[in-house]
Amino acid sequence: MPSDAAAARLDADGRRLHPLTLVFSALGIARGMLWPAVAGGFGFGDGELDRMLPIILGVLAIPALIGAAAKYALYRWRLDADELLLRSGVLNRQNRVIPLARVQNVEVRQSLLQRVFGVAELRVETAGTGLQAEAVLSVLGVGEAQSLRADLLARRRAQATAAAVDVADGAPAAEPVDHAAVPPLAKLSTWDLLLAGATANEAGVIAAAAAGLLQFTEELPGDVFERVIRDAVERTEGAYAVVGIAGMLLLMLVGWMISILGSLVRYHGFTLVVDGGEMRKRFGLLTVHEASVPLQRVQAIRVEETFLRRWLGLASLMIETAGGSPGQRGGAEAFVPIARRRDVGRLVRGIFADAEVDAAQFQQVHPKAERRLRRRYLITFLLFVWAPFWAARWFDIQPGGMLAPYVAVLLPLPWLMARWQYASRGWALPPGYVMARSGVLNRVTWIIPDRKLQTLHVVDSPFQRRLGLSTLVVDTAAGGKQAAVIDLAHSTARRLLEELAVRARAAAIASRVQVRTRAAEVEAAEVEAGPGANDDPCPSDHLPA
Amino acid sequence: MDRPEPDAVLTAEPPAPPAEAPVQRLDPRAVTLWRLTGALWWAFWTLCMIIPWLLWEWPLALMLPVAALGVAWTVWVPAASYRHFTYQVGDVDVRVMHGWWTRRVAVVLHSRIQHVDTRQGPVERAMGLATVVIYTAGSVGAMVGIPGLAERDAELLRDLLAHLSGTDDAV
Repeated sequence: MPSDAAAARLDADGRRLHPLTLVFSALGIARGMLWPAVAGGFGFGDGELDRMLPIILGVLAIPALIGAAAKYALYRWRLDADELLLRSGVLNRQNRVIPLARVQNVEVRQSLLQRVFGVAELRVETAGTGLQAEAVLSVLGVGEAQSLRADLLARRRAQATAAAVDVADGAPAAEPVDHAAVPPLAKLSTWDLLLAGATANEAGVIAAAAAGLLQFTEELPGDVFERVIRDAVERTEGAYAVVGIAGMLLLMLVGWMISILGSLVRYHGFTLVVDGGEMRKRFGLLTVHEASVPLQRVQAIRVEETFLRRWLGLASLMIETAGGSPGQRGGAEAFVPIARRRDVGRLVRGIFADAEVDAAQFQQVHPKAERRLRRRYLITFLLFVWAPFWAARWFDIQPGGMLAPYVAVLLPLPWLMARWQYASRGWALPPGYVMARSGVLNRVTWIIPDRKLQTLHVVDSPFQRRLGLSTLVVDTAAGGKQAAVIDLAHSTARRLLEELAVRARAAAIASRVQVRTRAAEVEAAEVEAGPGANDDPCPSDHLPA
Repeated sequence: MDRPEPDAVLTAEPPAPPAEAPVQRLDPRAVTLWRLTGALWWAFWTLCMIIPWLLWEWPLALMLPVAALGVAWTVWVPAASYRHFTYQVGDVDVRVMHGWWTRRVAVVLHSRIQHVDTRQGPVERAMGLATVVIYTAGSVGAMVGIPGLAERDAELLRDLLAHLSGTDDAV
């Protein structure tokens, strides 16, 4: 209860770390300083061992001892019924409160040296990208660490059932499922993969890379490259432009072929099965990849349609995941590399069973967004016109006739791009989900369940403010990109913010009810089965995010 | 093209706003804190600019933009930042509004708070101020910070948020 401040509680009853922290912390700091110390030793010791050694030891020892002493003196921790309190820091003093209901994982770790001295490290992690433990108590006595761990987990369990921790739905299935019987959600044929490679935007990137390789053509024996060019120029009677364009087209063709080949090799035999709360993928020709992702971890689905694919009625699906076990990063990964647009709804429902994405009605962003985009594209356009002109002056070439058609082709682009970009932006609120869409060359549609919403932001730059626009940013636990709806009317953005906050809360409550019901069911089953039937002492130790 | 009005999509009436939580401001000393750090940075950069002037006779005019920025960050920006920084602790969420150039509103549901820190740099400690940092499971927007609070207020806010996060409101 927020009665006495945590600081007072830490002062009164806060525990210190084990005295051996002085040693281990010092070692840790010294290890960090090793290379600078050695370098300094060499520098100032003039290569003589008996002069270098004291310098190195001095450089290592002093900060190590001071740091370790400070840490031991200042670090305090305390475990309450509902919270873990920590205080640390010398220059930057930090007081941390971790509600036990949020703890996901508690680990006791021992290095070899720690084992010898009978001490250990206790690491406490909450949900999140899992890159760093939220609390690291280094070092405690082994017994103390283990009993603290048991204590923490016991109190957390009490908190979790009493106060209904917000865990998402879907505990792992109790009975094993017959894997062979489940039909795959998606299976890609060779033709599909060919299409995937042929329509990927990466062809352009590969062409650019190939162009970069051109500079190495000087290494080719016998001036092969130059002779080829000279032949070509002679044959076309000196039309450099034609040769240039032909060359570029050739490069793009090569890039395209590489893209197709790459896709065929990488995703050969792609099969995706959703089964038992888990998604399993299998693909690859040379290296066979088998990956499985618990459906829990999926924070959002992203549908990507490149320009070409949109025209052919194809799409690519990615999932954004949260980090799971400690040290595992979340991020984007392929869900289905290529699929027919009309299958997208069914595929999305494979992961988010109640998502009605096909029926979603997208709302436009504010019309003034088009004005902003036009301004931006005009500036880019001016740069594109001015740059070659300036380059021509620099190289003393007369662009002459080329310039007029060049400008004429580019001229309508700012208006067209602004219109297309504006039309591509939209948002939708199907029941239980929020969707955001944008992009011309690559149209990206985000599908995020309400229960996965983390923080919500409304941001406006001064330029947006002048036009009465704002951007809504939706954050999930996925490590990586954020979904944003850019240039909404400010009032719409605020109302959307409120709506999403309400929905997120409703989703949290709903999943809590599910947890409580399930906990009650588990308890009832245990009571029925009799004592000793369930041997697992910590059934809920590893809660999914 | 016929598109439904956004209002038809959002709930018929705007959801009843949570009973308006009081709008809190930072401690007024935050302005002094920011002025102090602003002045320190200004001094640092001015020194950096003086060295090339002394050694290699770079024109003094180069120091003008640094001086101008320094004045802005010491005199004007801290006051503007203070004016635009508010927060509200509601029944279901915490809202933090800040920014004088780019304005941001961040909403964190209590049920999404993972843990809460208070943090004090050396200057803050000397002035008796602290920053509250709210951590969520989110990735990019994972941390929401409220700086420039009186030490005691920061501690109370931290404990309150941790408590609200751990228990959250009854179903």
